[in-house]
Amino acid sequence: MLRGSCLCGGVRYEISGPLVGALNCHCSMCRKAHGAAFRSRAGVRATDFRWTQGEKLVTWYETSPGTHRGFCRVCGAKLLSRFDFEAKWYGLPLGTLDDDPGVKPGMHVFVDYKAPWFEITDQLPQHPEWPPR
Amino acid sequence: MIRGSCLCGDVRLEISGAVSGGSHCHCSMCRKAHGAAFGTYALANAADFRIVSGADRITRHASSPGVSRTFCSRCGSTLQWLIETKPDIVEIALGVLDDDPGVRPARHIFVGSKAPWHEITDDLPQHATWPGKP
Repeated sequence: MLRGSCLCGGVRYEISGPLVGALNCHCSMCRKAHGAAFRSRAGVRATDFRWTQGEKLVTWYETSPGTHRGFCRVCGAKLLSRFDFEAKWYGLPLGTLDDDPGVKPGMHVFVDYKAPWFEITDQLPQHPEWPPR
Repeated sequence: MIRGSCLCGDVRLEISGAVSGGSHCHCSMCRKAHGAAFGTYALANAADFRIVSGADRITRHASSPGVSRTFCSRCGSTLQWLIETKPDIVEIALGVLDDDPGVRPARHIFVGSKAPWHEITDDLPQHATWPGKP
């Protein structure tokens, strides 16, 4: 069981299954949403994810058609993404996890949109946008 | 002029002077607020900083005594880190900038609290907490 919580502690969640496909996304939407150099996220099955406290504090913003990013309305912590076109999966930003997920981001995506003030210095694969399928 | 904006575009900001002192902060509070591996902040003089639009959209969260963090109440973008003892300074989350601030982060701070799933691979100085503290 993986646990996570927002900065103010009002929102808490648990994940009972694996995190998959962890990556760092440098697209401008992720950078702006997080106010950070990049977003680190993993996929989690919707059936494995459960809000354990404060779900009503989560504000959802539709950042592109069908993609909703949720954050705590009290502290602003970025908590989860859900997708109208893929309801079985959520996108989990790793930053609010309290437990070690045991996985690490395995690639950088959308590096063509990387912040000019951040250099990627690790050896992970880099993709201009999404990796080839 | 350095411009910034939140994801939804409601909040727009401008910095008319230079920014300085960029740091990557790995403390657990920054990681949670940003939902990210770390937060990156640089300093602007408050006199040079202006909210151009959307001031009524900004929520301020008192995250520790004397410290508050701001974000857009509509889209959640993290915007600022503010400390009461330094009212002349605004720390800006670089992720919301639209223009290149020129400054480059020069250090990692609070690496003692770093996420286990993130590795620091650059050559910047690393500080366990604040620089100058054991």
